[in-house]
Amino acid sequence: MARAPDAKLELVQGTLDMLILKTLAFGPAHGHGIATQIRQSSRDVLTVEHGSLYPALHRLVRQKLIAARWERAPGAAREYKYYRLTVAGRRALARQESRWNALVLAIANVMQPAPEA
Amino acid sequence: MLARLRDLLRRSGAPSDEEIARELRDHIEFEAQARAGEPDPYGAAHRAFGNVSRTAEAVHTLWHPAWIEQSVQDLRLAWRSLRRTPTYALAVCITLALGIGAATAVYSMVEGVFTSPYPLLPQDQLLWIAERTPRCSDCYEGSPAALVALRQHVPALSSVAAASPWSGAFRTTGGSEMTSGFRVTANLFAIIDAPFALGHGFPEGADAPGAPGAAVLSYDFWRSRLAASSGALDSTITLGGRPVTVVGVLARDVAFPEAADVYLPYPVSAQAANDFESRSLVLVGRLAPGATMQAVAAQAKGVARQLARQSPRTNATWTLVPRPMREYHTDDVKGLRTIAVASAILVLLAACMSAANLLVARLSTRRPELALRAALGVRRWRLARHLLAESLVLALVAGAVGVMLAHWGVSALHDMVPVTLARFIPGWAHLRVDGRVLLFTLAVSIASMAGFALVPVVGATRVDVQSVLGDASRSSTAGVHGVRLRSVLVVLEVTVALVLITASTLLTRSIHNIVAADPGVRRDHVLTMNLMLRGGLTDSAMRDVYRRVDAALGAQPDVLSAGFISTLPLSNSSWGTSFEIPGRPPAPDGRPLTALDQRVSPGYADAAGIRIVSGRWITAADTADGERVAVVSTLLADRMWPGAPVIGRVLVVDGVPWHIVGVVANVYYGGLDEPLRPTIYRPVLQAPSGESAIAVWTRGDPDAARDVVRRVVAGVDPDAAIGEVMSMRALESRHISGYRVMAALVTVLAFVTLLIAIVGLSGLVAYGVSQRTREFGVRLALGARASDILAHVAGGALRLAALGIAAGAVGALAFARLLTALLYGVGPGDPITLAAASAALFVVALAAALVPAFRAAGVDPASTLRE
Repeated sequence: MARAPDAKLELVQGTLDMLILKTLAFGPAHGHGIATQIRQSSRDVLTVEHGSLYPALHRLVRQKLIAARWERAPGAAREYKYYRLTVAGRRALARQESRWNALVLAIANVMQPAPEA
Repeated sequence: MLARLRDLLRRSGAPSDEEIARELRDHIEFEAQARAGEPDPYGAAHRAFGNVSRTAEAVHTLWHPAWIEQSVQDLRLAWRSLRRTPTYALAVCITLALGIGAATAVYSMVEGVFTSPYPLLPQDQLLWIAERTPRCSDCYEGSPAALVALRQHVPALSSVAAASPWSGAFRTTGGSEMTSGFRVTANLFAIIDAPFALGHGFPEGADAPGAPGAAVLSYDFWRSRLAASSGALDSTITLGGRPVTVVGVLARDVAFPEAADVYLPYPVSAQAANDFESRSLVLVGRLAPGATMQAVAAQAKGVARQLARQSPRTNATWTLVPRPMREYHTDDVKGLRTIAVASAILVLLAACMSAANLLVARLSTRRPELALRAALGVRRWRLARHLLAESLVLALVAGAVGVMLAHWGVSALHDMVPVTLARFIPGWAHLRVDGRVLLFTLAVSIASMAGFALVPVVGATRVDVQSVLGDASRSSTAGVHGVRLRSVLVVLEVTVALVLITASTLLTRSIHNIVAADPGVRRDHVLTMNLMLRGGLTDSAMRDVYRRVDAALGAQPDVLSAGFISTLPLSNSSWGTSFEIPGRPPAPDGRPLTALDQRVSPGYADAAGIRIVSGRWITAADTADGERVAVVSTLLADRMWPGAPVIGRVLVVDGVPWHIVGVVANVYYGGLDEPLRPTIYRPVLQAPSGESAIAVWTRGDPDAARDVVRRVVAGVDPDAAIGEVMSMRALESRHISGYRVMAALVTVLAFVTLLIAIVGLSGLVAYGVSQRTREFGVRLALGARASDILAHVAGGALRLAALGIAAGAVGALAFARLLTALLYGVGPGDPITLAAASAALFVVALAAALVPAFRAAGVDPASTLRE
């Protein structure tokens, strides 16, 4: 439930998995950390709905693209559930990234056709 | 149990519900920390998150799909509801398990013997080729000429080998033993890919004429006679009076084409291609890669035509018939397979019907409950799933018990056949539960349980709630739902039971008839054995051995009498001769007169207890130099000279006249179930032969005399071989053991179905009584007598039994026709057997119905009306 609908954008369908993978590419994180990071990286434009974040995380675990473990971070009082990228996840991320870039370029070309030579 | 099942179903790595909850709590904690500046950070964090429990559930279903959850729930519910009705659950389980176990065991045995007689060999690629003619349509052998021609002109066969039965003496330090086996072409073991325990098959050229003697031993022979010594390989042993080198020992349980002690090379001479008439070879071929049976059949037909052109006199009407090797032993007993498979399927059907019967009964008592649940909004599909789960749990438990019963049954069957006989049944050593058969029986029982579970479900969920609920609360006579279906099932159960009981009675009576039949000889206190003299002895040398063995045996203190005969009673080995009667033309069809040819000694009549009808038996005075004399059986006398005196007549055998001096009672030399054959007895001293048998009448236990006889024979001639030493009783029981196995099998199955039918019938009656208690109370209160109620209830049950018996009689007559070949002294349509079986079944049905009927008659009107 975004507070200011016009300032925020709904996630394009199917991109949440890619965003999670990308976030984890920088290192292990827990669920809240991932959500925060996505929001901050997008300069508060993208908000991950918590209701869909956790099912997405667990789905990725079942697909073995990420792995989950209860760990105690240095200085933390107790264990939290941390997610990290697996090798398969890293490969999947690379694939999705290049597909995404191609898609963005194609859409941009349609929206702003290059002047004809 | 269900908790463990759930563990199994749970996907590996799935987080527990607590874990998921904790993770989500942590998230809110972090969020609250991030909003530390706001008023009520926890409330804000919660609001930002949305519905926590829905998220938790979404994560949960991700790991545990709903259908698994629901199935587990269904199973747990089913388990709980079955535990509330243990009698019902147990009855269904026992019934189904018995059916699955019995059917699987019997069917597996049949499949093992009939479809996999050579489990250690490439049996799919092997075939055997028989030379047949209309007059010899079940002949199974071929000639050397056929062997040579098949090798050259049938490209669909990669190679062809031959085996010819052989028997001879194995020389040991303490005398000689008779061994049997095959002479085989050198390529046989290569063709059948025979596995070896030691060494290998015959080298190429081992079957050339003049090749050095070589032998391949069976595993059992190697173990029992050569003490399983590894030094046996390449050693020299004496077989059939010739030194031979052991080149290999076959692996355990390899017997080809049937049980054998030893294998020797079969010499294929240059003249083999012209030998059209010695049809004594088992011809074995191996399919060429990619070739089919049809191709072989077509090419073999061509070869047969070619042989007929080459030698029209011997081959004009003969064809070459290829058959799969797996049918070699069972070509003439296909009927047994049909009987066993049919019985197995009948038992399985009876079990399924009985289980279905119980299921229908149980479901009909639950109609109010089901209707109520349907009324309360439980969807029909969910209700059906629940009932399905219940019957599946039962079917699965019954299946597990059935598998155990099947394993036990197969090993019981395996042990039922004595080793001495079992070695002649190929594949018997490898008898085990057949996986495909088991799958079949399990599938049938599960499908029937599922099917019958669903029939009332459809009705139950469609039912008008009000009527059913009202109905149940009044507990009146309206409980007729499913009763018609159950009645049909009970009738069918009785039908199947009568079919199998009749079959079992017929077989059991056959065995009694056989045992009671008079084979014409004494069966107690007689030891028998085969005797084979060294090859190449002159007639006078043979006479000398017979005389000395006879004298030495007669001198033994425990021996009352001893004598020789060519082939023993009930031994199934016949030895025929043709004969003529001077002055009498041959039979109109030109075929010579034939009779069994027995060469006997004076002591044999006493030793075997043969009854002399007239004249005299052979005596010591009938020496080689005396007048040639013969004794004939009553059958021969009656056929040749009906009503006329026989003593003093003359028979011409082997071109010389023999004067008949006596007539003796008939003796069964083949099986008791085979027709008697006319028999001619001649003195062994006047017609000596290298092969013979000994009968010894002992004072005490005949088996105790074994060693004495062995010693005596070895003392006279260490090269004279003895084999198949057993008492006359053992000979007899070997003769009927096939019958016994079949009868035991069918009897066990018959009892299982009878039990199932009784449970079904009495269960149906008891249910009917329990549903009508109130009605009976009313009737009694209105003045009905208890005997009326009794007759009414029992009569209803007996009507069902009578229907089943009537249908069963038709089925029994049809089924008994399959048994014809196994019956002795009783016809397949024997009215007494059928009547007795029907009467017995009727009495049992009456007893099964009376118990609940008495309960109905004993209803206390006051107490039922007050309810």
